Amino acid sequence: MEYTWDFKIVLDSLPLLLRGLVVTVELWVVALAVGLSLGLAVSLARISARAWLNGPAIAYVEIFRNTPVLVQLIWFYYAFPIVLGQQLSPFTAAALGLTLNTSAYSAEIFRGGILSIARGQWEGARAIGMTRAMTMRRIILPQVMRRMLPAFTNRAIELAKVTSLASLLAVNEIMYEGRLISSTYYRPLEVLTVVALMYFLLIYPGSYLAARLERRLAARG
Amino acid sequence: MKYQWDFPAVWGHFDMLLVGLLGTIKLAAVAIVFGVVIGFAVALLRMSHRRALHVPATAFVEFYRNTPPIVHFFWFFYALPIVIGLSLEPFTAAALALSTQSGAFYAEVFRGGIVSIERGQWEGARALGMSYRSALRRVILPQALRRMVAPFVERSFELTKTTALASSLAYAELLYQAMQVNSITFRPMEVYTTIALMYFIVLFAASNLMRLVEARLARIG
Repeated sequence: MEYTWDFKIVLDSLPLLLRGLVVTVELWVVALAVGLSLGLAVSLARISARAWLNGPAIAYVEIFRNTPVLVQLIWFYYAFPIVLGQQLSPFTAAALGLTLNTSAYSAEIFRGGILSIARGQWEGARAIGMTRAMTMRRIILPQVMRRMLPAFTNRAIELAKVTSLASLLAVNEIMYEGRLISSTYYRPLEVLTVVALMYFLLIYPGSYLAARLERRLAARG
Repeated sequence: MKYQWDFPAVWGHFDMLLVGLLGTIKLAAVAIVFGVVIGFAVALLRMSHRRALHVPATAFVEFYRNTPPIVHFFWFFYALPIVIGLSLEPFTAAALALSTQSGAFYAEVFRGGIVSIERGQWEGARALGMSYRSALRRVILPQALRRMVAPFVERSFELTKTTALASSLAYAELLYQAMQVNSITFRPMEVYTTIALMYFIVLFAASNLMRLVEARLARIG
């Protein structure tokens, strides 16, 4: 059977796809920025010696890491509003789910980084009169950020891919627009292929840079 | 507003959720087996010196690593049937999407493991008169396999969580079954919390079990 390709439909609906791409990027930026900051707070709670701080932090991280992210998004959209007593917009529910998910994964990255810094640095900073908070901010975290940069970039790449799940909550990001267009014109082959390529163009530069960065850091030791 | 919890309403349909859990396990098992086979083949192609072999293999890996899984699911379900002129069952489409995608990730696990073995071992084996194949099978792989265990396990957990996306193709895995139970009981809070716990228990138990296995393997060395 000979199939006649028709990319005109895709070209005509490019403005819609691009609008979807903007929403994808919005979701990505919000979840990444808030998720990373929250992740730092969670990691500090997790390495704390106080059980009432690290207990809940461990539970938080393990729950988000051991359940599918799609289930989390669906939970925040359909179940959470019942506790809250207020309906959330699809975008808010998706952003909330993705942010908390990102915070759990990045908490583990922060924790790994903080624990990898030699004890002597803490002692040295104490010896010259720095407080714990100041040592963390001025000595430990700058090194953690550098050392963990490849891990954070990988997380950012994962997150960019995961934003596509928001389409299942009817957030009008690129995957959602793609499915809408493909079912309207009945051209899934062309539309879904183009959507896949658009994601590739969005994500590949980041992962290429991340791989180079990783090699450079590894070479420097 | 005080919310009246009603878990028993959901647990009355626990048999449906168990069917879903079995569906999840079946899909994950099939995708792991096929993914490993694809991954091993792709890894060997990627390490080949012939451009005609390693360029397509690299493109395969990079494409899958830089596009979201949900796009693969929809592509295999809606677009591939147009190319092959044959419609696919949801299970078949989901299994194809998951095994090719995890094939790309497993390929990197295999390649990483094989590349991590020092060059000298290859040279030594060749000096003893071993062919490329028997050097790979008898000298390199036995050592590399042990180093691959941890990343392989991690990837398989990711894959198991990704099976939840098959719900969007109406394959009866755990999340899809939960949606059915929700449409009977109208209890999203209880339903989605129950399946989140089911995922958590299975994945958390499995990951602790694997940690024991890894520790045992590390001791054997």
